[in-house]
Amino acid sequence: MQFFLAEGARLGLGLIGVISLVAVNALFLIWMERKVSAHIQLRPGPMEVGFHGALQTIADALKLIGKELITPEDVDKLIYLLAPIVMFLPVLVSFLVIPFSPTLLIRDLNVGVLLIFAFSTLTVLAILMAGWASNNKYSLLGAIRSVAQNVAYEIPLLLTAMSIILMAGSFQPSVIVSQQAKVWNIFVQPLAFLLFIICGTAETNRAPFDIPEAESELVAGFHTEYSGMRFAIFFLAEYTNMFIVSAVATIFFLGGWHGPFLPPVVWFLLKVYALIFLMMWFRWTFPRLRFDQLITFAWKILIPLALLNLIVTAFVLKLVR
Amino acid sequence: MPAHTVIETVAAIVGPEKAVPVDYAATGCHVRVEAQPEQMPALAQAMLAQKFFLESLTALDLMESFEVVYHFASYFELCRTVVHVPLPVGVEVPTISAIYPGADWFEREVFEMFGIIFSGHPNLKNLILPDDADFHPLLKDFVASS
Amino acid sequence: MMLEKGLEERTFYLNLGPQHPSTHGVLRIVLEMDGEFIVTADPVIGYGHRAHEKMAELRTYQQYLPNMGRVDYLHALAYNQCYCMAVEKLAGITVPERAEFIRVITSELNRISSHLLWFGAYLLDLGAFTPFLYCFDDREQILDLLDRLTGSRLTYCFYRFGGVPVDIDDDFIAGCRAFSQRLRSRWDDYDNLVTKNVIFIHRTRDVGILPPEMALQYGVTGPTLRGSGIPYDIRKSEPFSVYPLFDFEIPIGERGDVMDRYLVRLQEMEQSLRIIEQALDKLPNGPIMAEKVPKRLKPPEGEVYTAVETARGEFGIYLVSKGDVKPYRVKLRVPCFSNLSVLPELIKDTMVADAVAILGSIDLVIPEIDR
Repeated sequence: MQFFLAEGARLGLGLIGVISLVAVNALFLIWMERKVSAHIQLRPGPMEVGFHGALQTIADALKLIGKELITPEDVDKLIYLLAPIVMFLPVLVSFLVIPFSPTLLIRDLNVGVLLIFAFSTLTVLAILMAGWASNNKYSLLGAIRSVAQNVAYEIPLLLTAMSIILMAGSFQPSVIVSQQAKVWNIFVQPLAFLLFIICGTAETNRAPFDIPEAESELVAGFHTEYSGMRFAIFFLAEYTNMFIVSAVATIFFLGGWHGPFLPPVVWFLLKVYALIFLMMWFRWTFPRLRFDQLITFAWKILIPLALLNLIVTAFVLKLVR
Repeated sequence: MPAHTVIETVAAIVGPEKAVPVDYAATGCHVRVEAQPEQMPALAQAMLAQKFFLESLTALDLMESFEVVYHFASYFELCRTVVHVPLPVGVEVPTISAIYPGADWFEREVFEMFGIIFSGHPNLKNLILPDDADFHPLLKDFVASS
Repeated sequence: MMLEKGLEERTFYLNLGPQHPSTHGVLRIVLEMDGEFIVTADPVIGYGHRAHEKMAELRTYQQYLPNMGRVDYLHALAYNQCYCMAVEKLAGITVPERAEFIRVITSELNRISSHLLWFGAYLLDLGAFTPFLYCFDDREQILDLLDRLTGSRLTYCFYRFGGVPVDIDDDFIAGCRAFSQRLRSRWDDYDNLVTKNVIFIHRTRDVGILPPEMALQYGVTGPTLRGSGIPYDIRKSEPFSVYPLFDFEIPIGERGDVMDRYLVRLQEMEQSLRIIEQALDKLPNGPIMAEKVPKRLKPPEGEVYTAVETARGEFGIYLVSKGDVKPYRVKLRVPCFSNLSVLPELIKDTMVADAVAILGSIDLVIPEIDR
């Protein structure tokens, strides 16, 4: 009885913490994205609301909440309304197993990594639902592209993850992190890190892999017909996905919470935001790939490389042990 | 391509006195041709064979009749050729869009602006005006509302 | 059940525009699509039709001048120049040399600003946001210069029949020189940021190839044509104004693909800088306005065709006068009209992303097509 009470309290607190983290993180990341892009582009970015525009996102969020929710005629209502929810919920679940520090984690599951990958795959379903239900050709094209892209990039992503899991011998995130106390995996597996970042950027549909919402081609892709808070939820999910991908990369390659002087959780967040900054840097520097080039890149370059990496890892491990 | 070779080739189609050199400094053209509507496809073919491109195609409303005006120029040598085709009201001009695909849009524009019909045009409908516009704005008796 | 019957394969229609981020104006292209591939394309134009040609018949020669800045608002000065040349030819007005120099300098500045805007907007089409703002930063310098001289930043109406109304001063000359130095120092940035980018090369190499024969049949002109390797530039082929006095090259491409058109435009900016610098060096003294240009212009009966090279290609005016104070007929031969008519051929059997890349590479100003 006492066990269930304690676990229940832990889960409840965790969920509250996660939801507030998601909100604060999105607010911060949107502001950061605008500032980073602005400074890359020789302009100051938002400056009016708050110190250097720090409260701009809150103002924007208030505006979005105040907006009328337009449901276009001829949409598939049920699926149309469900899509933002399906997009957002799995994202929350992934936070349950992310170890922010040795003590600050909600559930230390021994299949944590699997859980994150399994749930993050659900976003593609949400995109497909949104694109299909919108009854708009641009949305549909965006959804089709998104599915093809996610299927293609999921494979090398999981293959590179496998080589790390092979090394750690566990699916448990905290175990993977604690094994990197001395040497971070990025120094052992540089190729895997590179592949993981590329695939992670593609998985979150960020530029240069943002073809599902390629603005100059598909207007806004799968969320063309979404307005107000429903659009905001897609937006929120995108930024939260960025956080999760970066967090997983931090766990796998950058030694998680390990680092001198500062408290573990600070180190963890620092690394995560550094990776997010990298992804923003990509977005504001590169042009967009073409759809077929994107798919070719995944199947002909990334997957063979990831496979090779996995085989070499397995081989070396066999020799060492 | 000097003007005289163009004149020679064109004269074979329209007759010797109909193709004449003109003063470039005053008109911006080197050769002036006067052709009959039915000679246009052959003339366009001859111009294309000499590697001329269709610079412009327009019409003039001369109140009692029309005049369709073609400008040809070459990428390689300076020799602008202007072809005037006098056209009584109600007479059609054979299209040259099969020879110069670029003429397709020009002819559609002349059609909607002047009501001149290009016979044999594959897609003679309004280009710039709305599909249901049944007026021809560049006719002299069309009164602009301002 | 579906599988038993077999899925029916069919194409669908996609409206690219009239409201679309990459048509840069109100152009609509009806695409027949087979999945991501384009089967046929049919541009629908006319949304921005303002009846410029009809207006010409209703106004006096002077009153029509401001219209010329509004046909192609990105290279307005070339249109000014072409119309002035046509009327001057018809009325027999000789323009003083200093005025011609000023026209060339300002028109070339305007050409650079047009190319810079194209460069930024084109990269935007390809999904790169940042170069856009870099270009606008550079373009701003030109706008400031021309703003001081002409009083407007976009729809210039600066030239008059017989010359220019305002002389350039030392500040303007210094500003031009400073600008050309600044822009030259940017080429490396642009090269490193864009031209050498692997993704950019993949998106543009061997995409949208325009064979020279097809260009001839459609009457394509401008950088779009020169990308296909034909060095047809009115400034050299049919010299007007004082262009023969300057030493400059006509950049051409080899393959005629999107990349070549891009490179041609980049190199043209450098050539324009050369022209401007030479013109500043050789700038003669003298009047800037022809003497005795009548207030009430009544050119004799006749017709004239003049052409200039704008940033987008050959702009021609066919002007017919019947000896009245108003033109009898003004035909505006706009480059984008012919350049756009070749688009359906270029984007057939490509993907949407390529279609956007090709559409952008033609550098269309839609209101110019609609007139």
